[in-house]
Amino acid sequence: MTGAQPVILGDMPSLSKLYVNAAATAARRRVLGTDAGISLPPCGHEVRGVLAEVGNLTAFQHLVGETASDVLPAGFIHALAFPVAMSVMNRDDFPLPLLGMVHLKNTVEQHGTILFTEALDITSWAENLRGHRAGTQVDIVAQVRRTGESEVLWKGTSTYLAKGVFLPGIDKPSAPPAPTTFSAPDPTALWQLGVDTGRAYAAVSGDFNPIHLSVLSARALGMRRSIAHGMYLASRALADVGAVKGDSFRWDVAFEGPVFLPARVALDISSVDSLSGAWRHSDYTAWNPRSGRRHFSGSVSAL
Amino acid sequence: MTDKYTQFVSRGIGKDVAKKLGLPQPVVLRRYQPGQALVPGPILVQGSSDGADELAAALLAWDLDVRRHAVPREKLGAIVLVLDELDHAEDLERPVLSAAASLRDLAPNARVVTVSRTPASAPGPASAAARQGIDGLLRSLAKELRAGATANGIMLADGVNTTSPSALGALRFFLSGRSAFVDGQFLTVASGEGQLPADPEKPLAGKVAVVTGAARGIGAAIARTLHRDGATVVVVDIPAAGDHLAAVANSVRGTALQLDISREDAGHRIIEHAVGRHGRLDIVIHNAGITRDKLLANMDQGRWNSVLAVNIAAQLRINDALLASRDFRDSPRIVSVASTSGIAGNRGQTNYAASKGGVIGMVRATAPLLAERHGSINAVAPGFIETEMTARIPFATREVARRLNSLQQGGQPGDVAEAIAFLASDAAGGITGEVLRVCGQNLVGA
Amino acid sequence: MSFTGQSATGPEESSTAAAATPGGGLLRQAVVVGGNRIPFARTGGAYTKSSNQDMLTAALDGLIARFGLADERIGEVAAGAVLKHSRDFNLTREAVLGSALSAETPAYDLQQACATGLETVLGLANKIKLGQIDSGIAGGVDSASDAPIAVSEGLREVLLDLNRAKTLPQRLKVLGRLRPKDLAPDAPNTGEPRTGLSMGEHQALTTAQWKITREAQDQLAYTSHRNLAAAYDAGFFDDLLTPYRGLNRDSNLRADTTLEKLATLKPVFGRNLGAEATMTAGNSTPLTDGASTVLLASEEWADAHELPKLATVVDGEAAAVDFVHGKDGLLMAPAFAVPRLLARNGLTLDDIDFFEIHEAFAGTVLSTLAAWEDEEFGRTRLGLDGALGSVDRSKLNVNGSSLAAGHPFAATGGRIVASLAKMLHERGHVDGRPARGLISICAAGGQGVVAILEAF
Repeated sequence: MTGAQPVILGDMPSLSKLYVNAAATAARRRVLGTDAGISLPPCGHEVRGVLAEVGNLTAFQHLVGETASDVLPAGFIHALAFPVAMSVMNRDDFPLPLLGMVHLKNTVEQHGTILFTEALDITSWAENLRGHRAGTQVDIVAQVRRTGESEVLWKGTSTYLAKGVFLPGIDKPSAPPAPTTFSAPDPTALWQLGVDTGRAYAAVSGDFNPIHLSVLSARALGMRRSIAHGMYLASRALADVGAVKGDSFRWDVAFEGPVFLPARVALDISSVDSLSGAWRHSDYTAWNPRSGRRHFSGSVSAL
Repeated sequence: MTDKYTQFVSRGIGKDVAKKLGLPQPVVLRRYQPGQALVPGPILVQGSSDGADELAAALLAWDLDVRRHAVPREKLGAIVLVLDELDHAEDLERPVLSAAASLRDLAPNARVVTVSRTPASAPGPASAAARQGIDGLLRSLAKELRAGATANGIMLADGVNTTSPSALGALRFFLSGRSAFVDGQFLTVASGEGQLPADPEKPLAGKVAVVTGAARGIGAAIARTLHRDGATVVVVDIPAAGDHLAAVANSVRGTALQLDISREDAGHRIIEHAVGRHGRLDIVIHNAGITRDKLLANMDQGRWNSVLAVNIAAQLRINDALLASRDFRDSPRIVSVASTSGIAGNRGQTNYAASKGGVIGMVRATAPLLAERHGSINAVAPGFIETEMTARIPFATREVARRLNSLQQGGQPGDVAEAIAFLASDAAGGITGEVLRVCGQNLVGA
Repeated sequence: MSFTGQSATGPEESSTAAAATPGGGLLRQAVVVGGNRIPFARTGGAYTKSSNQDMLTAALDGLIARFGLADERIGEVAAGAVLKHSRDFNLTREAVLGSALSAETPAYDLQQACATGLETVLGLANKIKLGQIDSGIAGGVDSASDAPIAVSEGLREVLLDLNRAKTLPQRLKVLGRLRPKDLAPDAPNTGEPRTGLSMGEHQALTTAQWKITREAQDQLAYTSHRNLAAAYDAGFFDDLLTPYRGLNRDSNLRADTTLEKLATLKPVFGRNLGAEATMTAGNSTPLTDGASTVLLASEEWADAHELPKLATVVDGEAAAVDFVHGKDGLLMAPAFAVPRLLARNGLTLDDIDFFEIHEAFAGTVLSTLAAWEDEEFGRTRLGLDGALGSVDRSKLNVNGSSLAAGHPFAATGGRIVASLAKMLHERGHVDGRPARGLISICAAGGQGVVAILEAF
């Protein structure tokens, strides 16, 4: 991390308060036209001594199809760190409106196992504010260490897009990337996602973003129906890759079309081994089996 | 087991009502149970011949209470009337009338058994008349007896002693509860063949028996009776009846053979199973039979052929295989189930009666073929038997049919089974080519 | 796609050499004495109200009657069911207690999806070979009609917590969590837990991958019905089957079906999966109810009981594939198990006189045969020089198989073992050696169990 020392928060921020605050900020900005500026906050936030709650962990593991072991799944750590990341995006000096931001992609580097019994220090900051043909994007980075230790065990980078927000001094990319044509392969799996998928993941992740909760709350934010959490989908794919990934791995996912609930999602998960037979990476692609439109794709690879 | 009417009139108010109204008064028959006394009281042996003395001595040797002269007012379990030395019809008078004096002293379910000689071998007309006279006498007496008592006769071929194995065997059968539904019938002992069992309660010990059509009804009862008497039983029925067959096989600790007996190789398959699984084959009971009733005027080829194929052609083919087999040579026994329909006829059963009449003809003609291996073959002709099949007869018809005999009730499948078990035993070796009716002396037919 | 395969060559140790048993003796033979099953009934048919225990007991009692085992103490009875009620935790033992066997006969349950029946045969055969038991009854049963229905997760958790709650306020609080949607039951499905795809959908992908045509699948189904009907007419099942609940024949059997009729059926699997849909109700097995049993014994036990010895259980092999990550089709594990089993026994496909390949779907059988005939599959996946070889179709499922008979999951293994043992016994010897049969059964979870039997 570059820049100033992070602000140490006394408690884990409350996500519901952060969402309320974000809504209030959005309203204030609309009414007063105040502007947060065009640069990212100079410092990040840190919460120390964070402990996972084991009942919550078990519920998360069952929901995404992981075995209920003592090891925190990479997606669970993302959920654990999410309030800290949100608190950064909730700062008054954060230049983009939190509500309505779109999760474009996510990268996690897991460097070792973390057990639920271990107290963790979680640090998050924003970086890499840059243009996008549809608005402005930013990376929110989170790091997780065992309390008091310096070794980073988990690092997540979430790229968000503030649609339609163009900040002065930040250029749009010169040309939009050439549209890639997607032809669906034979699926290896077919997920049936019920209408309550968003609520179920909200209950285990704490992410009560209204766009995931119900048709009504999603419509209030301009969605025609509620959509599945991206990190829920990615966490299920990660679980499906299975034990072959070991303790240290890189996990990428890029989100494209949202998954409107309820949904049938087709997946292709395939592994690529080296000539010696060792696992190199597992790639996954998910699409709508009816329209053929891609929802997300990514891979899990050896570090 | 016993029908409801019989239960009703057997005791209490039902008994009084039936008596007053002159309704039939069937009693609950004395049926054989292992350990049961042979007869319900002393046995009076009437007759003055050497044969009578020898027979009385043999009965004494069975630890029975034997009387040579009636004791006034003593309730008798049985009267054995030995008439083996009659030369003239006039010789009947003394023994018959002295027996008559004791008839009122017969206990309920008592027995009268005559022992006489076959008319066919009589030396002259006078003795033939005497011998044949016993036939009419006995059948009439059977109709006179009440309270479950029966009268049956044993006819000895000339040269066969009153104490020959089968004479004693037949006497034991008639005296016992095994013959509960046999009434007014004769068994002819043709020879001194046969052997009395070491244990009268296990007369079939060590024998391997096959029963066809054993999945239910009379066949299942035969299997259970043969098993009770000590035999290892193979039960046979068509594959479609396999579930019921399995239940019977398991209840008699035997084996089930799912086989359509009308198959060409049925005899071979039966022998192979019995010998392969149980090491030998001693007894075959041809019980399997079907009915496809129709007036002859309306008879079709299918009904006719299927009944003839199963009821007689299959038995003939299986017997051919048995006669050709080296594994059916040690005093083998065959008993076929015929029917009173085959003797007296029955409306709507021309096909069935033809097949069952055929069985009787087959049995008589097969008997000589088995003689050199000390084998025997006989038929049992059931009358009205309470089975699933007869339960489907309309109530009124059924009620009439089951009362139309001297015992005023239908027989049980076990009654048929008891007769078959006796004919399948070593003790019946001197009886062959016979047809024994188990009908309670049905009014219909012979 | 991976480039590493499952080696077709077995471990170095050879099983042909006689090994020492714990008792110090040599391995014995395990012989198939015979079998018994009840006719298989289409779901919702004759056995709708019959439980797994009812049907297994009926199949056992028929076996006991056929072989005179009433009151006999059998070494062990092993059976199982795929769809199982929680009350059936001791299903096989309960069936034994309800049967005519001695109540002193021990029993255990086993479950390996559709391979359950064959695995019980292999397990008990091994115990017999080792001298641990002298006789055993293997079997399996399944009812799709009387399938367990679970309560929803929500209701289940509330009920369990309610049971743990001690006071009235605690109980009321727990009950307050109940929501109307929790009252909807949770019916079992045949979907693979890890992929969400049904077995049919999985097979549809494999069928398309191996380019199996609709016509070829219909032809296989037609042949299965024709062969099974002929076997019934010839009395083949007279000593393999005991009627139950008024049924004398498998109710799925359509003796009069034709290729034309089969061709009119609409595809039911793989319609949303991109590839051309070729799998119909006619060339896929329907859900079925039924039970089967097999009597196994040592030679000595069979002789002492004067029982027939139809065939010996020579060897068995299990395999599994990684279908989750798209490496192989869900039901393709036997394609790997068979080459390994043949190699360990020094055999090729040409040394087999009867092939009994379970027809989960016509596509399963044909995909497996195609894989064995495929040069590249042989080289890259089986580690062979080329293709494993071809199966002579005149030796395949000659008395019909699951497409015609139906497939009550755990009961299929027993059906096949008993039928094959009888066929081998009838064939006797081929070219001076005992007739030999191969059984191949695919199972959920990407598994497969295969076995070799020889005429005794």
